[in-house]
Amino acid sequence: MPGLLSENNNSLVPFSPEVRDPIVYHLHNTPKPPISRLSISWSRGNCLLVSFFRTKLPSSESDTNAVENPNEEIGGKVVEVKLSSENGEVDDVQRRKIAYDSVSPFALLQSHKISAAALSNMSLGSSNPFNWWQHIMDYSKDIKALLENSKPPPSSVIEDPMEVLQTVEEPNSLKAAWELLEIFYADKQAQPWLPERLVDWLADYDSLLSSTMTTVHSKLVDLQKELVNLQAIEDDPKYWEGLSSALAVGWLDIVVKLLRLHGSYQLDQLGNRETENGLVEAVAVLVSKMPRMRSEWNESILGECFKSKPDFMKSWEKWRGQIAKLECSAFWVQCDHRQTREGLKNLLQIMLGNSSILNTVTCHWMELYISNFLYVRPFTMGLDGMYSLAQKCMQVKPLSNTHCLMGLILGILGDNIEVVLAECSRSFGPWMVAHAIELLTAGNTQAEVLLHEERYNLGGISIEELHRLVYAQVLSSHPLTWQIAPVYLTSCTKQGMGLLEILLYKQPVLHNQLLLKVLEICRLYDLYSISSTIMKIAGVYHWKHGRKGSGVFWLQQAQDEVRLNKIAQQLFDFVGKPISDTSFKQWEGLIELLGSEARTAGGLEFLHKYRDFKKSLQQVQDGKAREAAQQAIESLILLMKNPSTPQRFWLPLLHDSLMLLNWQERPLLNVSQTNLLLNKLQDLSIARLLPDYVEADLPTQALGSVRLALATNLGRVILEE
Amino acid sequence: MEKSLITLDKGTVCSSWNYCRQRLASGSIDGTLSIFDSLDPNSSSFTSTSQLKVNETSIVKVVWIPPEYGDAVATICLDGTFSLWEECEQDAQSIKWVMCKLSERNESRVLDLQFGVSSTSLKMVAAHSNGLVKVYELLDPLDLKKWQLQAEFQNVIDTVPTLGKPSCVSASISWNPQRGESNLASFALGFNSELPQFNSSKVWEFDEAHQRWLPVAELALPEDKGDQVYVVAWAPNIGRPYEVLAVATSKGIAVWHIGLLPDTDGKLSVEKVALLSGHEGEVWQMEWDMGGMTLATTGSDGVVRLWQSNLNGVWHEQATLETTST
Repeated sequence: MPGLLSENNNSLVPFSPEVRDPIVYHLHNTPKPPISRLSISWSRGNCLLVSFFRTKLPSSESDTNAVENPNEEIGGKVVEVKLSSENGEVDDVQRRKIAYDSVSPFALLQSHKISAAALSNMSLGSSNPFNWWQHIMDYSKDIKALLENSKPPPSSVIEDPMEVLQTVEEPNSLKAAWELLEIFYADKQAQPWLPERLVDWLADYDSLLSSTMTTVHSKLVDLQKELVNLQAIEDDPKYWEGLSSALAVGWLDIVVKLLRLHGSYQLDQLGNRETENGLVEAVAVLVSKMPRMRSEWNESILGECFKSKPDFMKSWEKWRGQIAKLECSAFWVQCDHRQTREGLKNLLQIMLGNSSILNTVTCHWMELYISNFLYVRPFTMGLDGMYSLAQKCMQVKPLSNTHCLMGLILGILGDNIEVVLAECSRSFGPWMVAHAIELLTAGNTQAEVLLHEERYNLGGISIEELHRLVYAQVLSSHPLTWQIAPVYLTSCTKQGMGLLEILLYKQPVLHNQLLLKVLEICRLYDLYSISSTIMKIAGVYHWKHGRKGSGVFWLQQAQDEVRLNKIAQQLFDFVGKPISDTSFKQWEGLIELLGSEARTAGGLEFLHKYRDFKKSLQQVQDGKAREAAQQAIESLILLMKNPSTPQRFWLPLLHDSLMLLNWQERPLLNVSQTNLLLNKLQDLSIARLLPDYVEADLPTQALGSVRLALATNLGRVILEE
Repeated sequence: MEKSLITLDKGTVCSSWNYCRQRLASGSIDGTLSIFDSLDPNSSSFTSTSQLKVNETSIVKVVWIPPEYGDAVATICLDGTFSLWEECEQDAQSIKWVMCKLSERNESRVLDLQFGVSSTSLKMVAAHSNGLVKVYELLDPLDLKKWQLQAEFQNVIDTVPTLGKPSCVSASISWNPQRGESNLASFALGFNSELPQFNSSKVWEFDEAHQRWLPVAELALPEDKGDQVYVVAWAPNIGRPYEVLAVATSKGIAVWHIGLLPDTDGKLSVEKVALLSGHEGEVWQMEWDMGGMTLATTGSDGVVRLWQSNLNGVWHEQATLETTST
């Protein structure tokens, strides 16, 4: 299960091999003690049903009455426990929305994979790597988009000149984590500009780190609140602190905006603070001209963009020269405002990369890290360098309380896929892992080997498949999400189908809608055997619950010959029995349903003829006398002539027709017909002497009365003719 | 995280969920069987729909039959008998639970009973207190009254006639959950008795050609063969190249891997991959999740423990469920 590979000789991680302590869940909804026994049962997915009993199970028969406590109010309770470690930041509804929305990007990517594999199998040349990156990036962007919080924070319509911090959307850790993975694993074009990507990342998500400690963001939020109340902000040390902090992490637009709020810009200050204002503006200009090495230019970000390193270096040197020059300028002497003078010089020191100042103005190690990229080592490249720098920053600013994102960043910078996976799993749950693996394996051979290798310990599956199965289990445990589990299960080549079959088998298919849904899924993925089992379950359920028609229908769908034959045999039991109208109708309907396919060797043909006979007989009783009686006789003759009519039904048939044989008005049978029936009767009397003859369930005098009726009939016909 | 589903009546001592977890059958100390139903598959509210008296003594175990054979439960009672009850509905109006089979009351008591679906029919295995195992077969798939005793044997590998009659305290049967046309019917069985030969869990497989049951594996190391077995649990196999079974004895919970193909003398290869300790005292029940990856266990310490194997195949306790009141 999710965790770390360790201990093996080929272990890649320097992680301790011991297994983590079990997570302890405390159940609150349990009955009062004493609880004498527990019983457990898994429901679908990772949902466990636990029964608590307060009554003690007696150990012997004599023990039975000794244990009941008359004061007990209840005997026990059954509770359902959902076992999943999900990110607490996201609520259930949001989580389900994410689950549903991520299905189509995931499925699309899988289908691209399949077609890419097919192409390379057909040796049409290896698939175009550029196209492949495009697919991965499209996937990553789709997933990122669905992680956005739909509700933007309330904002006023009028732009507030005092508003320095603008929040476009409420950030969440899940999206922050996804974006980190995208930057480092999926977006190969961004590789040369990794540090700048991290600068942007921190700008978006620094507020998340504020939950555990003070950050640049939280400082600025405080400053923002106070801005409105301050008369001369340049007198307030917080203003300068905020400025340096924002500059240190590269939020240039905020710095320029804040600088322009400086008191010296006000009209009434003209004349006496000109030099001071000039210095402020000079710094603002330098800030906004900062050279940056970025791939794409975003309007809202200040600075000058360079795509190639030589251009960037040239410009960087020039810019640093300008800062140094301003540092030594003679104008500082003319600036009377001490705070402004010191504050601005501080900003220049930051831009010059003074590490002790950077250290004081940043809070979180991540902020210090970013400031180092911006001002101390603007040319840092490669993960190695980034990792050692991160370690240094963490030593300077150790954390007492680590945010879940920090473990992920360290795993990424340490180039350790296993740690990345473990962190994703621990902090963000199975959804994250199942989807992020696509990014991790994209073009990374080492990761691909690690995650796609089939392992005996896992029952012959790869880590990738394992995580998909784990996620599918999570989906399976909720009635609103189990339907999307098949998408993930079918992407598992080894064990997905097995789990899908079990999942489908455990659906309550007595609810018709659900039954149809399950059968649809079976059809989609060619799961014939399980679909037949499910139809059997439905068929037997309906058959046993008085809905014989539905029962036969589903058993036929399931092609369950064994049970259908048993049903056909049950229908024979009706033959020769007096039956009521309704049960006759039901019986007739079942014969119709069973259809004309020969099941019990010609048995159905007989049943069909018997039905016709029985019908006309009933009409006779209903008083539609004459014609009906004639028709009944014809059916009877047909039945008796037909070799498929089992001998054991001859007497019951004749006994049924007694009324016809004794027809008052006139005899209904002619001589040859009567003779036929008499012959049959004779055959029957001979058969009765044989050992395997089965006596029909009829009154003892049945044979005698039929014999007499036939004789009477024959006599009357002879007279009449 | 947890949700209360059902409040059980006074005197309830055991319960069992049906295949889709929409029905619960519970048995009580006065011999009453209660059925709880959820009428809507999406809701988690359950109501008591039927109650019937099945015995004068306490019910000790309730087992549902596989759904392809209808809605029915077997109840094992304290007097050592078992009975089979089926839900029937006449003309879609009145639901009735009718008794289909009742075992005779004799000296040996039924300790455990489990149903298994084989390619041809439904089979029922009952383990008795005298160490005998009886296998019944259903003759008509639509009629739960028609059972035939198919086999009767002892849970021992070498038949030594002078073993004597053990008196067993408990027994545990677990069918191979794999259902499929090609699968041979097989189950694992262990006893808790004072005669060591009977105790160790054995895997029994039905030999179609000779119509007999054969022991194909023994799940105990030579030095542990006499250990009294509390529970055995066969894990669902969704595609592993081996089967996984858990066996709980007084020494702990052992996890076994069993090969899929028999060697020349018809035996399956077995390997004990873990011995888990955690429950102090007796283990009452073990249940595998639907993927066969997590084992849930509960025992006399009143705690539910969840066990998993990590990526290296090392089994460990992954989580513990405790009641706050204990």
